[in-house]
This record gives sequence, C-alpha cells and structure tokens, in this order.
Amino acid sequence: MRNVLRLSLVAAFALLLQSCSVGTDESTAGETRTIGVSLLTMQHQFYQDLRAGLESKAAELGYELVVTSAEFDPARQADQVDNFIVQSVDAIVLSPCDSRSVGTAILAANESNIPVITADIASLSTIGKVQTHIASDNVAGGRLAAELIIEAIGPRGKIVILSHPEVTSVSDRVKGFRERLSREPDITILAELSAEGMRDKAAKVMEDLLQAHPDLNGVFAINDDSALGALAAIEAAGRLDNVSIVGYDGTMEAREKIRSGAIYGDVIQHPKQIGALTIDAVHKVLTGVNVPEVMPVEVGTITADSLNAIIGAP
Amino acid sequence: MKKQTAFLVRRLLAARMPVILVALIISVTLMTDGQFVQFANIVNVLRQVSFEATIAFGMTAIIITGGIDLSVGSLVALTGVAAALVMRATGDFSPGLAIALGGLTAVVLGGGVGAMSGVVVAWCAIPPFIVTLAAMLIARGAALLLCNGQPVDGLPEQVLFLGRGFVFEDVIGKSLPFPVLIMLIVYALFAFTLNRTVFGRDVVAVGSNEEAARLSGISVRRAKLLVYVLTGAVCGLVGLLHDGKLNVGDPKVAEMWELNVIAAVVVGGTSLFGGRGTMTGTLIGALIIGVLNNALNLMHVEHFWQKVVLGAVILTAALADAGLRTLERKTE
Repeated sequence: MRNVLRLSLVAAFALLLQSCSVGTDESTAGETRTIGVSLLTMQHQFYQDLRAGLESKAAELGYELVVTSAEFDPARQADQVDNFIVQSVDAIVLSPCDSRSVGTAILAANESNIPVITADIASLSTIGKVQTHIASDNVAGGRLAAELIIEAIGPRGKIVILSHPEVTSVSDRVKGFRERLSREPDITILAELSAEGMRDKAAKVMEDLLQAHPDLNGVFAINDDSALGALAAIEAAGRLDNVSIVGYDGTMEAREKIRSGAIYGDVIQHPKQIGALTIDAVHKVLTGVNVPEVMPVEVGTITADSLNAIIGAP
Repeated sequence: MKKQTAFLVRRLLAARMPVILVALIISVTLMTDGQFVQFANIVNVLRQVSFEATIAFGMTAIIITGGIDLSVGSLVALTGVAAALVMRATGDFSPGLAIALGGLTAVVLGGGVGAMSGVVVAWCAIPPFIVTLAAMLIARGAALLLCNGQPVDGLPEQVLFLGRGFVFEDVIGKSLPFPVLIMLIVYALFAFTLNRTVFGRDVVAVGSNEEAARLSGISVRRAKLLVYVLTGAVCGLVGLLHDGKLNVGDPKVAEMWELNVIAAVVVGGTSLFGGRGTMTGTLIGALIIGVLNNALNLMHVEHFWQKVVLGAVILTAALADAGLRTLERKTE
C-alpha cells in the first residue's frame, strides 16, 4: 500500500511538471544550428585533437556542438544518439564504437530526418544511411608503418603487432602493414595481440611478449598510446637498443620520444584536419551540396630525422 | 496533535526516495528549460534505464541475501551473443520461431551460469564477490570466443522490435517501449515474489540473520541458489532485448553494468549488508541515475565532468538516505 502511495506521488508530480512545461517547448528551437557528436572515446590524444578540429571549424561556421563520448560502449552510443534525436539536433557526427552495432542508431536518426556523418571509423552495418565518411587512408598508413619498421630493423628480424582488431580503422592499418611485409620473406610476425589501444594494457602485453621472445627486434603499435605503453615495458626490460618501435598518430608525447630516439617513427594522421573536414561536410550536407561517399585524409610519416629537419637540430 | 505531526513526519520520511527523485526531476526540468519533461525525452529516459533496471531487480534479491553478482554485464553480452547465433541460424526458417528459440537460449544459458555461481556460493562457502568475479571473466571470455570477437549480425529484422519497438503503438502511439514493458513486468513479478511468497520472505530472512534462518528451518542454500538463477535468467532476457537494440549480438556490450546496477540498488535504499531492500526502491534508484545521466547530456555537461557529478550525486543520495533513516528511527 505504501508503495502504491509513493508511486502515485511520483506520477502526480510528473504530470504536473509536464503540464507546466508545455509553454517552454518552443523556446528551445534556437537560431544557431546544433551538431550532436558522439565519439569513440575522449581518452585518446587522437580524439582530443579530432575534437579540437571539430570545435574550431564549428566556431568558424557558426555551429553549436554538443560533444559526448561513448567510451567504447555501443549501447551508450545508441543512447546518446537517441538523446540527440530528442534534442532535435540538425546533424549527428559519429565515430562508431562498433562498425556493425552502430546501424540501429543511424537508422533511428534517419527516421527523424537527421543526417549522419561518420568520422575516423566507418559504419559497416547493413542498415542506416550515412551521408559521408571522413577518415585517414589507414591501409596506406599500415604500408607506411611497414616501411618504417624495415627502415628501423633492416631486411630481417622478428616483430610483433599491438593491435585492436575490433576497430575497423585499426584492422585496415594491420592489413596494410601485413600486406607490405608479405613481400619481406626474412621478417617474421611472431604475434598480433590486442592492447585495446590503451597504454596500461599495452605495457602489460609488451612485458609478456618480451619475456616470451628474447630475440624480438621490432613492434608495430597501432596507436601512440599502445606505442608509449610498449616503450615503458621495453625500457623497463632494458632492451630499447634491440627493439625498435613504430607507432601511429604522432601525438606530442610520441613526437618527443621520436626526437629522443626512443621510438623510431610514427605514421601520422591529421586528426584536426579530419575534424575540420567533418564539419565542412556537415555544412555541405545541411546546405544541400553533394558530398562523396568517402572523403579520405592523407597520412604521412615522421622520424627523428624528419622532425629535426623541420624544427632544426636539438 | 504532537502525535499527528510525528505520524506525518514518519510518512514523509518513508517516502524519501520518491521525494529525492521528484526534487531531482524538478531541478533538471528548471535547468534544461523544460526540455527534460518533453514527452519524447521521458520515454527516452525510461527506455535507457529499462535494461539495467530489469537486471537490478534480480540484483536486489541477491543483495538482500547478503550476496553480490558481478557477472551480470558479462552475462548480458554472453547470452546476447548466444541468442544472436541461434537467431541467425534459424532466422530464414521463421523469424517468430527464431526469436522464441533465441530468447529461450538466452534465458536458459543465463539461468545456467547463474546456477553455477549460486551452487558455489551456497555450498562451498566462498564469498560471492570472488565467485561472481570469476563468472564475470569466464562469461565475457566465452562471449568473445563464441563469435571470435566479432559482433554477430544478419539477425531477422523483427528482432529490432525487442529493443526499439513500442507496444500498442496503434492505440497510445510511441509511448511504451517494449523494453520498458518488460521492465515493468519483471518489477511486478519480483516485487510480488519478494513480498508475497514464502521464498521471498526466506530471502529476507537469510539476509537478516542467516543462522536464525537456518535454525528456523529455512533452506538457506536453496534461497541463495535461486536468487542467482533468477538474476542469470533476467540477464538472459536483457541480452535478448539488447540484440534488438543494436540489431547484432555484440560481445563487448554491457561493460561495467554490474556497477551501475549495484549503484541503482544501493541508491534505492537496499542495504549491502543484506536483510533490507525493496523492488520499488530499486526502480526509483535506477530512475534517479537514469534521470541524471540524461540531464547531464541535455545540459551539455562536459564528458569528464559527468563522471564526477554522477559520483557525487550517488554519494549524496546515499548520505541523504542514511541521514533520513537515522531520523526515521528516532521518530519511531
């Protein structure tokens, strides 16, 4: 009985509130257009840079951004998209947590006529329509990473890959990397293990790999957090002279390590450019300009030599 | 007169959880210029809490016995993947049958894993924290193994209804999402079981004083086993609904759900020491957390700050509840 009382109390208040709020509904429709953003994570430097690119371009073009992060949880991302739909945003930018699971969220946005644009990670779902996808050419990036490894360890040696196979952009990198190395008969890939792109996980995985393979020559880490985690483990084992690291992204911290020679080199993406181009694409879609299905962003490489050439010798 | 005031105060204190919820709703409504109480948003919040709340009812029963279950999130992932595999294999035949078989698989598998945890907890005197921690890891690993880490897609499209559909859409429009209906049914079943059945009273007795329960002839082991089986089965149900939400069976979903679920139970006034708790409290606890999560998004609170605010509010709710309970005891 008491429970019934409590619940009816709640219901009464909720109804009261709803009747009070009718007048305010229209006031939320503002003049500035809003873009809802749901990122894979905000813990990686890459996404912080991507976000900075989104924000500066949005400010330039006069859009309001609502940035959320799903932190690897596809269900949370779906909830965030539902929230955007309720907020009636004008467009949604997604970096899907999972390329397949993201379909229902995109479909829900489609049904409310809100255009969806993906950045960095593509949707592979059979349902839901994405206006355009903006990302680095990751297969090409993987090939460049293989070039760097060959440069670092020479034509023969044993290497490992610190991967994150659930993410499409990462599997593309590994695909390009393996593709290039398949032409090097004397370089063996001993293992491909997932560090989930996280530094602490990478350090643990690397410790185990170092134990298992005393003759290891090189590591390809699919992002800089993994590379820096691997570096910590390799330094602790005192094997930095024998094991070369190639990372991916070129974050500030990784650049320092490259300049000092601890990391051999990085494939660099241009996350700020991805962010800026994404907002550009949103603007085009909202103003009725046609956009291509995919908009690739160039990748490049950095090594101690190239960094010092730009900035001048330390 | 004085007696009447005391009675009134007691009544108000007894209704403290709804009062906290209502206060929260009023404040977020004001802070979001009424955006929060838009009908579509309320439906949204209900749908968002429905998955974890459904599990929270099972968790409440476990916590009342003095136990804990850390495996619920992994179980949602495992049963979701298993159901998806079954539905994909049988989908061409008949979508209805596929969903029925998928659901059956999920519930039986969930209940089965729950039973294993329950047996170890009840018969081997190992702390439930450790047992279910192990179950959490095993279930998560099994989920990833079953599908090789890749989400299982290609489900019959009718599955979407389970996660995103609305009940009686012709009559009441888009106001009652299917998962919310399931949440309400599970709530009613668990509330009835806890309050009106012998088994329910056994659960409370075991949690209040295990020795006394044993001495009065209650089968302590049976009560402990059953709460884990029930919770596992409910996780299976939610695993099936989750397949409908994402249209795939994803082995990575429901990460950290155990903590959200436990938070909802504790915010709802159930004692982690066992012996005391209500299903209604848990429902309200889940709503408090859901309302907060939603409001922080509506208010565009910076992502990193959201965690801080959420933690602070959970702590405040727990402190307020503890303080009011002391007050309640004094008025008695």
